Amino acid sequence: MNALEIENVSKRFGDFCAVRNLSFRIPRGTIYGLLGPNGAGKTTTIRMVMNILIPDEGGIKVLDRRMDEAMKAHVGYLPEDRGLYPKMKVGEMMLFLAEIKGMTKVKAKPAIDRWLERLELGEWRGKKVEALSKGMQQKIQFIVTVLHEPDLIILDEPFAGLDPLNVKLIKDIMLEFRDKGKTIIFSTHRMEQVEMICDNICLLNKARMVLEGSLQEIKKRYGKNTVVLDYEGDGGFVKDLPEVVKVDDYGRSMEIKLRDKADPQSLLRSLVGRVRVHRFEIQEPSLNAIFIDNVGADHEKDTSGH
Amino acid sequence: MRKILAVIKREYLQIVRTKGFIIGTVLGPVAMAALIFIPMLIAMASGGEKKTVGVIDTTGEIFADLDQKLDYKMSDGSRRYTLSQVAPGSDIAAQRNGLSRKVLAKKLSAYIFIPADILTGGAAEYAALNVSDFDEVKRLNEALNAVVIEKRLKKEGLDPAKVAQYTRRVGLKTIKVTERGEQEDVGGTFVIAYVLVLILYMTLFFYGSIIMRGVIEEKSSRVVEVVLSSLRPFELMAGKILGIAAVGLTQYAIWALFGMAASRYGGMLAAGAVPGASGFKMATIPPYIFVYFVVFFILGYFLYSVLFATIGSMVNSEKEAQQLLFPISMLLVVPMLMMMLVLKSPSGSTSVVLSLIPFFAPILMLMRICVLLPPFSQIAASIGILILTIILLIWVAAKIYRVGILMYGKRPNIGEIVKWIRYK
Repeated sequence: MNALEIENVSKRFGDFCAVRNLSFRIPRGTIYGLLGPNGAGKTTTIRMVMNILIPDEGGIKVLDRRMDEAMKAHVGYLPEDRGLYPKMKVGEMMLFLAEIKGMTKVKAKPAIDRWLERLELGEWRGKKVEALSKGMQQKIQFIVTVLHEPDLIILDEPFAGLDPLNVKLIKDIMLEFRDKGKTIIFSTHRMEQVEMICDNICLLNKARMVLEGSLQEIKKRYGKNTVVLDYEGDGGFVKDLPEVVKVDDYGRSMEIKLRDKADPQSLLRSLVGRVRVHRFEIQEPSLNAIFIDNVGADHEKDTSGH
Repeated sequence: MRKILAVIKREYLQIVRTKGFIIGTVLGPVAMAALIFIPMLIAMASGGEKKTVGVIDTTGEIFADLDQKLDYKMSDGSRRYTLSQVAPGSDIAAQRNGLSRKVLAKKLSAYIFIPADILTGGAAEYAALNVSDFDEVKRLNEALNAVVIEKRLKKEGLDPAKVAQYTRRVGLKTIKVTERGEQEDVGGTFVIAYVLVLILYMTLFFYGSIIMRGVIEEKSSRVVEVVLSSLRPFELMAGKILGIAAVGLTQYAIWALFGMAASRYGGMLAAGAVPGASGFKMATIPPYIFVYFVVFFILGYFLYSVLFATIGSMVNSEKEAQQLLFPISMLLVVPMLMMMLVLKSPSGSTSVVLSLIPFFAPILMLMRICVLLPPFSQIAASIGILILTIILLIWVAAKIYRVGILMYGKRPNIGEIVKWIRYK
């Protein structure tokens, strides 16, 4: 059973192609990372899933049914361009957003109270939305996304603007939903979050899918050709070593991609004596590196072309 | 449908609760009534103040009659005007100077100078601190006028009473010919037409702007995408327009109650306050005018609110909207400018054609209905054309709106908008 099936979907705006021949499936009860650089087609894809935009070609099935207006009640969507009614009172606005999802007043009111209490916003119910801090508005936004207990939840950068405590709060709720069999599409630019939470991912670039599948498998496909190095000293020479293809240097730590069949031991030998090595670990590449690997080269080509 | 109802409810409550609405709806007519009635009530309650007026009568034959004519009473029955005669001395200028000083010192309210040649055409003079109290000046002038004319007539050996009878003005009553027979028109037709059309014009503009502002607010606060994840753009637009329509009808209903109260008690008040006003008849407005008024308000409202909503969806801020609003304002202003033309010849071919153009129809057809009920076929035609235009407009506008509310950044040009309409 799939929560979402996208089959050969394309969407054009005039001459611009936003999504080209996209296909993927999301099994129920999983968290799916929808990734890609800005302008890759993520928002257009999500809007088509939400029936806000209609695909030019292809089909979309949500919860094993063709997506239509009635299905909107089973989906919750937290857009990246988030927004609330600033002049409305928190409780009234939440009730309105619940009602247009098809909830009755009787069902919505206790649910709103419960969620506000849980996210420590109970006393703000009667205040105007604009009086709330950004973080509080963000939590309200999250509540109205899941208030009607949707089976498919789409979260676009749900952690933006939240402090670590609130990030943990929301993340725990996400995992709770997954354990209850709900499906979550999680879109973000923070790869370390994806690595922690997602079961499967899809990477879009320039309207096309460049990677898809289980996170573990994708990583395995890349093989153990990556070295993570924590160091002290001047590591500028590393990128010129013969074993090395690519380096992401963060100053005190670097991710080094090795040439095929290169021996990590010889790299270690070259390092010792020139920098202080605190950690030297051979592992699968980080999702960050995979992302940059798939998208970065393309982007550099693009920017140099201009 | 439940979703549209939720939107309607939200829009309605959001507007009806604002201070602007309460002030405009409730305090507006109250303030207007207050402006009209409070001065009347004050005038009625105080009945003016007592005045002592000095009179230099150089003819010596006017004062006694004038004193008799100026017989205005205070509410307690005492005389309002006390005239004190000042015998003309040899140095009139110095005498007048003295009176002026008395007026300045408030010992006299005013003084009147009657020249020797008043019977042969000279003008009297009235000197006071405040000479802009028209009622008072008029009262004194009329009294003096009557006295002088009487004197002139008597000099020629004529009987003033008879002359007054012979020279009485001839009246010219205006009779409005309608299918239901002749009705005396008390000059109300024009006023009613004007007031109704003005209300229509203002409310169309007002509610249109509210809708536009609402769309822009949803867009700029980015809440629109959240809302669209629950309902169709068309449902959002429809709910908005219907919700604000309900606000408008609420406002009209409240105003109508005020109006009914005003016409019932206002006439009585006016009659009490101004002697002679009891003869003033409140114009009776045929009920069909109200029916058409509501019909054309609703149709005009749909036509214009769709335009306003579309503009709201195309722009990012109210400032940007101003430029796009200009052509729409023109569509509303032009019929207001054509009003005189239609009033003069309500069934002329120009009026007929203008009142069939859908964007002018609400104002001009209503105008025509007020002044001279056109054949029903013409009214039906204009309503039919309006409805067709509204349907066509909604069809196009929904397509623009759908794309526009999710577009940020540069304002689209016409080419882009045509592209939007073509999107699937």
